[in-house]
Amino acid sequence: MTVKIVTDTLSDITGDLVAQLGVTVVPLYVRFGEEVYRDRVDISSEDFYRRLVNEPKLPSTTQPTPNDFSEVFNKLAKETDEILVIVVSSKLSGTYQSAMQAREYVEGKCHIVIVDSMSVAMGQGLIVAAAVNAVKKGASLEKVADMARKASNRSHLIAYFDTLKYLAKGGRIGRAKEFLGAMLSVKQILTVRDGEMAPLTRVRSMRAGLDYLTGVVASYKGRIEGLAVEHTTNPGDADILVERISDIYPKERILRSVISPVVGTYSGPNAMAVTILEAENK
Amino acid sequence: MSKVNDIAGQVLRDMFSAATTWLEKSSADIDALNVFPVPDGDTGTNMMLTMRSTMEEAYRAPDNSASGVAHAMAKGALMGARGNSGVILSQVWRGLAQGLDGKESFNTRDMAEAFQKSAEVAYNGVSNPVEGTMLTVMKDVAKEAQTQVEQGEEDIIVMLDAIVTAAGDSVAKTPRLLKVLKDAGVVDAGGQGIYTIMEGALRFLKGETELMRLRKPQIIVSDVPLTVPLPQVAGVDEVPFGYCTEFLIKGEKMEPDEIKRRLEKKGESLIVVGDDSAVRVHIHTLDPGNIIQFGSKLGTLHQVSIRNMDEQHHDFLEMQKERMPATDTAVVAIASGDGLVDVFGSLGAAAVVPGGQTMNPSTKDILQVVQSVPSENVIILPNNKNIILTAEQVQELTEKKIKVVPTKTIPQGVVALLAFDYEADFKTNAEIMEKALSSVKTIEVTKSVRATRINGLHIKRRQPIGLLDDELIAAGDTDLDVISKILNKLNVKQAEVVTIYYGVDVTAEEAENINASIIEQYPNLQVELIKGNQPHYSYILSIE
Repeated sequence: MTVKIVTDTLSDITGDLVAQLGVTVVPLYVRFGEEVYRDRVDISSEDFYRRLVNEPKLPSTTQPTPNDFSEVFNKLAKETDEILVIVVSSKLSGTYQSAMQAREYVEGKCHIVIVDSMSVAMGQGLIVAAAVNAVKKGASLEKVADMARKASNRSHLIAYFDTLKYLAKGGRIGRAKEFLGAMLSVKQILTVRDGEMAPLTRVRSMRAGLDYLTGVVASYKGRIEGLAVEHTTNPGDADILVERISDIYPKERILRSVISPVVGTYSGPNAMAVTILEAENK
Repeated sequence: MSKVNDIAGQVLRDMFSAATTWLEKSSADIDALNVFPVPDGDTGTNMMLTMRSTMEEAYRAPDNSASGVAHAMAKGALMGARGNSGVILSQVWRGLAQGLDGKESFNTRDMAEAFQKSAEVAYNGVSNPVEGTMLTVMKDVAKEAQTQVEQGEEDIIVMLDAIVTAAGDSVAKTPRLLKVLKDAGVVDAGGQGIYTIMEGALRFLKGETELMRLRKPQIIVSDVPLTVPLPQVAGVDEVPFGYCTEFLIKGEKMEPDEIKRRLEKKGESLIVVGDDSAVRVHIHTLDPGNIIQFGSKLGTLHQVSIRNMDEQHHDFLEMQKERMPATDTAVVAIASGDGLVDVFGSLGAAAVVPGGQTMNPSTKDILQVVQSVPSENVIILPNNKNIILTAEQVQELTEKKIKVVPTKTIPQGVVALLAFDYEADFKTNAEIMEKALSSVKTIEVTKSVRATRINGLHIKRRQPIGLLDDELIAAGDTDLDVISKILNKLNVKQAEVVTIYYGVDVTAEEAENINASIIEQYPNLQVELIKGNQPHYSYILSIE
């Protein structure tokens, strides 16, 4: 029986990508006041960002319940006895914890391995995609899990946040803390380091941000196994980025997605992210 | 008050149902505390939602035995667990159910055992247990329950009362165990939730349901003073902290709320917990004598402790200095004007040395600040051409490694600091920062100190003059006149962002006018106005 792969919506594997990769995606929850939505099940990205900008209070997000995971596990356990779960960094969400709890409530003897991706968004998504490929090539559960565990070291997510407003309001700043209260309007370039969002540098304009992201992709030229470009409210800017890097990596192989509402709560509108899955050293 | 020696399922259900309502009242306050593990401000709401689900299931329990209700609660909690705190809370109920398994009703001994189970299961449920969280509070709850049993306590109310006090103390101590809490000046949100649930259950057993309708749970105040790491400015005096004063009052018919109200204005970080017979007071005050005297009138004082917090704070700072994992590279900037100091601080400069045009700091001034920052590698931004050389002398006098990025103006200093790369090493960073200097043009506007003739300009005394990248190229009738002349000479079309820092002698209104006029003339530019409060220059403009 083949290994089934499960992830959460923070991987930004949604829409067509879900079917394309054949994975099961468990949604996190987004809450505006008393209203609770399942990420991209009950609320679309468009609706989310519209409300994010217009509502005075920031939405909050919550991990899936252990029950959400155990239902998925029990369902998949009817088709397979090996499940690999790749979840968002445990430093950014309690999703890992929920998945671990859920494992105890699975009937039968299905073997479930849970991997903390130590990343988020396509930084996590490209690891999932790599795992799908490995399974297709016939790798065992242990092999794929091992690959996924190590992959965070070669999954490089570089994000451009057009404003620090949401990052500051949300309080989810991790090591990016030192930039809070900046008096100038600065655009933040962040990355994921040791499972947390960490500051890289700052620029003063979107144009400078695009230059920076392009420069990062160029620095990996020839060593790129997978590449993804994401945006929040600004597909046009993401298109420009894709055009600019298309001579470094074939355009048709670039995965496009929308940054999840959960990360979007902190990035705000007009954000972008590029993720490079660096090829393994052979 | 009547004694309660034995609780069956029905009362178990009712007491935690009351506790849920009690928790609900403070869920927003608990949300506000939430900084760990992820500061997303929803711990209170998550615990409340988890409790609702817990109790809904409890009312569906097949029988009214303690065991039946506890198992139903555990099931409801698991089904409805929200967030990390909810998940851990669900484990607390799971442990309780294990502890009460098969029991029709329970006494103090059973309850202590059940809480012990709760703490164990909660710890086991977390892959990487961290102290200073609700786990610690739950452990302290179990410990106090055990102590009560060992003392032969048979009244569940008395036992729960002691548990609530212990939970309160435990919550107040969470910032000592978890640095993020201390940094944020809050207690652990999940721990506060556990305390509130226990307190709600206790108040129900005491028959205070009417009171619960009128009151709101109290948020425990951190017993560690809040210290926010700010960029240091050399020579700022520290505010005295006073004395951390703690004691226990034993007496009769005391009213903790009233005691709290009386002490509220006497100091900071006040915690008053307890009941009508024993009240624990904690306060940071400049006058401990006064507080002690007040307490001694209410009853007998126990466990009196007065500590000098200036000493504590000093020790704390020393300890921090040692523990601070020397950020690889620190940036020290030179600037004057509190607005500019804030700009550098907000962008991550480790320290700012006061100084600038006509007030150049000495090598020693810079050296002192360089020595005080917790990094072995220091990049200095002189931000004035007359200070570059002084800054370069610092290397001779220190063991630390120094690089001077030769910034000649404030805007150059700002772009250099912005370009700082958190992943790059010391040498690379100095290079990146120096490279960034070419991306900015600086306009400085000041008044001529004497009549002169320079660069083909006839300049009168006190006339507004303008410098472009340190070269005097314009004179005019007004500041705006000078700024416009220089902007006209520049190829502003290629620029994106103009930042205007206005000086200490300029009114906000004058600055707004200049701001408006630039926006009107160059509608495609992003223009920002900042109160720099710098001396000497009425305006400094950065064109990027």
